[in-house]
Amino acid sequence: MTVTLTMNKKNKKFADAPVFTDKKDYRPTGVTEVGLTFVGHEISEDRTAMNQFLHYDQLYTIRHGWNSKFFIGLLEGKIMGTRCPKCGDTWVPVRTHCWNLNCNLEHTDWVEMPLTATVHTWTVAGWSGRSSLKRLPIILVYALVGDSKVAIANELHNLAPWDVEFGMPLQIVFKPQEERVGAITDFHFEPADGWTPSPMTPEKERIKQLVEPVYDWVKTLK
Amino acid sequence: MSRKVCIIGGATTPFDYGPTGFESIEGGAAECVRETQQDVPGFSLRDLDLMIYSHFSVHFGHQLAPEWIIHDHLGLVGLPHYRVENGGNTGGSALYAAALAVMSGHHDCVGVIGWETMDSVSQSQGSEFIAMASDIRYELMVGGIYPIYYAAMANKWMKDNHVTEEDVARIAVKNKNNAMDNPKAQWYRNDHTYLTVDDVMNSRLISYPIKKYDCCLMSRGVAFVVVCSEEYAKKVNPDHYVTIDGMGLSSCTIRAGDRLNNPTWKEHYGPGYPEMTEFGACRNAAEQAYTMAGIKDPLKDIDFGEIHDAFSTSEAQIYKALGLADTDTIAKFIRDERTSMHGDIPMNPGGGLLGYGHPVGATGIMSTIEAYYQLAGLIPKKHLSTTTEVPDAECGIVNSHAGTGTSISNFILRRH
Repeated sequence: MTVTLTMNKKNKKFADAPVFTDKKDYRPTGVTEVGLTFVGHEISEDRTAMNQFLHYDQLYTIRHGWNSKFFIGLLEGKIMGTRCPKCGDTWVPVRTHCWNLNCNLEHTDWVEMPLTATVHTWTVAGWSGRSSLKRLPIILVYALVGDSKVAIANELHNLAPWDVEFGMPLQIVFKPQEERVGAITDFHFEPADGWTPSPMTPEKERIKQLVEPVYDWVKTLK
Repeated sequence: MSRKVCIIGGATTPFDYGPTGFESIEGGAAECVRETQQDVPGFSLRDLDLMIYSHFSVHFGHQLAPEWIIHDHLGLVGLPHYRVENGGNTGGSALYAAALAVMSGHHDCVGVIGWETMDSVSQSQGSEFIAMASDIRYELMVGGIYPIYYAAMANKWMKDNHVTEEDVARIAVKNKNNAMDNPKAQWYRNDHTYLTVDDVMNSRLISYPIKKYDCCLMSRGVAFVVVCSEEYAKKVNPDHYVTIDGMGLSSCTIRAGDRLNNPTWKEHYGPGYPEMTEFGACRNAAEQAYTMAGIKDPLKDIDFGEIHDAFSTSEAQIYKALGLADTDTIAKFIRDERTSMHGDIPMNPGGGLLGYGHPVGATGIMSTIEAYYQLAGLIPKKHLSTTTEVPDAECGIVNSHAGTGTSISNFILRRH
């Protein structure tokens, strides 16, 4: 108890608390945390087995901390990267300390990146996590933004799934400002202006054949 | 010189999605121990001096520190215990920890129990839970789940290595059909059918080039293995123990896109490796294990493997990372069926993740147990026939793999 009192008296500040003023709440209506709740059960006919239904939801605070500039940049329609002042390596997704062991975790500088990228590799998804099912089929690309040393994953829109190609030039397109939430989904890739897909190939035909049932399946989702 | 590490026995529950007969994790764990005691009557719970628990996601288990429930249930109060978690490589990492404990001389008899209960949520929610091991700030919400990340890596890998959809479909067919000889395998217990390459090619798109039958199974299951000193092995199971002669554990980036141009890999293996396509951590962990076990040529020195085929494509990528083939030879290596039961290095005779199942925390332990059975001559007892027995197997490799290749372990097991 004595220790606690001493600490309170000193009121030592280890870091300045940020003052949050620009607040947005876009939670769907009717969603509230109820904590852990049993919401039902079932028992087998012979009464030897029981399943119980436990509901749990939780609002998490993701404290972006030193990475915040990237996510605030998204709200402003910018892609922010970081660059090591020692070795010059540049990253999107960002690193606040250099990855090169010779640079000894050098603090990196923030740089605004161009809104252009190149496809490094790609896939066409016909299945995904629960929150993404209705957006299927999804073209997911790993792309290099500007002179980034690493590739970032995001969706490629405005293109038939079978027309995505290795090395194709991309532009980064942001959602309208009022729809942005400061998350990676605030932007997507689109083919660069003037780029046109190559003619159909057997592989493109194959992808088309695989993807067509996905469109029908998504229509059946509630 | 550190002490020799041995395995004297182990067992899994049946793997399933839904009822296994051992729905409680502690009940399943107890049954695995009981089966091990039937195989090794000299082994007693009283002999254990450390328990290591192998469990990936408390999201699936809706219970923090669930290992405490199992440990307590087994009557092991007072015995030291802790849990290891390392994504899909949780099982391999727990085995690594157990081997280190014995090697150090501090422990003689270590039990490892792995489990996962992935059927406590829907399949699509389960995919999303697993994807929470990807970087959720950057990847989870852009439609990303692991099959999609793996597909993006495999798509380029297959083109760079001239490997086709049909080639990798052969791997899916091999493992799921191997599982039809294994009564504990989920494919045997649920789908229960023999597949053809056409079946795989015609199955629904998951993420190009991966289709449904190229994917492993979401599972419920528990596994138990005993890792011990040679003195203990000689005492309780002198005729049927195996040795862990080599082991390696390595790591790579969490986001697959971040391994491009990585300076540390460049230092190890030169520019352009592992790209976004190769499993650098697998190669690195294999090199460690091979050096330790004195493996000069893995193709000649290793008789079979139980490896982490979360996807048919990743099994192909692993062949290369293990040094079984290179860019010029990998397509032919697959087409020549070198890894089928009639090949010179059968892979996943137990069915692998594609056939046996993938209850994450139990998976690496399951692979270890299957390798143990092969080397201890127990396949005729544990499988339905000898068609999935590797005749006269002396040396096997166990591979456990996490993330997008983010953590990987390899173990060289030899018949005593």
